[in-house]
Amino acid sequence: MNRFSRTRIIGVIIRKDLREYGRDRFFVLVSALGLVMVVTIFWLLPDGVDESIAVGVRLQGAERMGALTAGTAAGADQGMEMVPFASAEELQVAVGANEGDPERELDIGLEFPEDFVERSLAAEVTTVKVYVRGGVPEEVRGAMTSFVREVALALAGHELPVTMPAVETLILGEDRAGNQVTLREKMRPLYAFMMLMMETMALGALVAAEVQSRTVTAIITTPARVSDFLAAKAILGTLIAFTEAILVMALIGALGNGLLVVVIALLLGAMLVTGFGLIAGASGRDYMGMMFFSLLFLVPLMIPAMATLFPGTASAWVQVLPSYGLVQAIVGATAYGDGVADVLPHLATLVAWCAVAFGAGLLILKRKVESL
Amino acid sequence: MNRPAIEVEGISYAYGDLLAVDRIDFAVAPGEILGFLGPNGAGKSTTIKMLTGQLKPDAGRIGILGMDVTRERSRVQARIGVSFEEKNMYDGMSGKENLDFFARLYGVDGFDAEVLLQKVGLGGRGEDRVKGYSKGMRQRLMVARSLVNSPDVLFLDEPTDGLDPVSSQAIRQIIREEADRGVAVLLTTHDMDEADKLADRVAFLNEGRIAALDTPEKLKLAHGDRSVRVRFRDGDGVEERVVALDGPDAGDELKEAVGAEELMTIHTEEATLEAIFIKVTGRGLMT
Repeated sequence: MNRFSRTRIIGVIIRKDLREYGRDRFFVLVSALGLVMVVTIFWLLPDGVDESIAVGVRLQGAERMGALTAGTAAGADQGMEMVPFASAEELQVAVGANEGDPERELDIGLEFPEDFVERSLAAEVTTVKVYVRGGVPEEVRGAMTSFVREVALALAGHELPVTMPAVETLILGEDRAGNQVTLREKMRPLYAFMMLMMETMALGALVAAEVQSRTVTAIITTPARVSDFLAAKAILGTLIAFTEAILVMALIGALGNGLLVVVIALLLGAMLVTGFGLIAGASGRDYMGMMFFSLLFLVPLMIPAMATLFPGTASAWVQVLPSYGLVQAIVGATAYGDGVADVLPHLATLVAWCAVAFGAGLLILKRKVESL
Repeated sequence: MNRPAIEVEGISYAYGDLLAVDRIDFAVAPGEILGFLGPNGAGKSTTIKMLTGQLKPDAGRIGILGMDVTRERSRVQARIGVSFEEKNMYDGMSGKENLDFFARLYGVDGFDAEVLLQKVGLGGRGEDRVKGYSKGMRQRLMVARSLVNSPDVLFLDEPTDGLDPVSSQAIRQIIREEADRGVAVLLTTHDMDEADKLADRVAFLNEGRIAALDTPEKLKLAHGDRSVRVRFRDGDGVEERVVALDGPDAGDELKEAVGAEELMTIHTEEATLEAIFIKVTGRGLMT
């Protein structure tokens, strides 16, 4: 190969950088720990969504529980689970305490009086106490009141005093009933982004070290050009970030659905963060400066990934963040099976942001190197 | 005379409004060592950057080995070696790995780092990481790095700065060997004594311009004052007399001085390069 070949020179610089990267114990350790941590957390999180509502019930005679639920429209098959309690005191404690214990946590408790059935059958007025945890929405409290009335009418053998309207349910999009997107599935973009972020810092540190020690000056007085140096850093950064991200996605089982979309999105994401890594590496006066600039860019970039954890549409300002397209493409592909055509607008936005970040990173680093 | 290895014609460079180098001309022949002397901010580093292709001159032309640096940068850089004032080595890599990396950048076939390490007195330390090297070892490695491509032109920026006498002498020896091999050497230094001993010619750079350029001997003859310092006993004390040899009555004064009864010492004295630099530029090297 020609001794002035750009490809040969870029390859020589990349091999040197890989050797240096491999010897940086801090980033190797952080990358390995990050990978293990992300994968462990993913598999520890629940792999399903409990769609039923547990309701504590205090009703004289456990055998009446079946009648209580079977006769109502909100029975067990409708996602309501009745949990019997022997005394009103135990019920109150269960609703008021045990927060955070999924086995014993209750939001609502119903305390039926001992003569509830008899008085309901006799069409007499009776009082049912509804215990509600403070955070339960008003709508659910109202639903419980209706539920109690419905139970009383069912026990008395009466139909609801209304003419039931015919209801036609149309599922728009994929029917997720019984198959909700789990928390760990929603967190997939966040995991990918965490790995991209770590590699951004590693690249930033590598670039900062070259700039601060002025080893880059020694490189560019050989047949290597500034553009060779920049190309080597850009290729290495993208390669490492992409490899780490794709590895973590494989380990959390995110490559089965929409593989092509995930690969394209992560490749663009790796280029995006590499651009920011180059800026951080060129801008920081020392290691702490580099970390500061890395975080300055990466914290806002994480917001779209965090936003997927919460229901509803992200705010308009979140949608213009550079990483929004990346997150939406990954969520669309892994959770909803979207193809390239479905997420094309997101990928197009991501391409545009990649061009901006990559271009800015290369320009700033070029100017920095030339100013040394 | 052979064609100069380095030909500089009227180069200038400005950082914004600050004119760092102002239309300087000089040439360095193959096998010649040119000492580039000047205080901080005189324009030495900017000149070296232009000569090594790191900066493009605003005006003028630079020829290295008959090639235009601006137009044929990679070809020029393949045949030059540079040793920087900053010890810009990869600290996490060994000395051998540093040299191997640069040899690969130059595309040198069959490079043997150990031979070069032996040459600079680092034999047996090549596998050690540079972070564990002393200042002298780093400087030796810097010089070794500048030689990985067997260059025809060497640019050495303060190659013995802060080194012990033994290390300095070893590096001077290497520089002299390279010059004897036919390599043109441009040496920037603050050390006037080093320039005097090593350089075939010296250039005084001041405020971006060359104030004087000649051999140390000719500069001393042209600008220096020769004198003889005579010490003799005078009663219970010691007298000292300095006789300027270039003065009109030098012969009579010298005869009178050495005719003292108890003559103790006689020393000839000639101007140092530093004194000449101050005389020519009106400022010291450390200012």
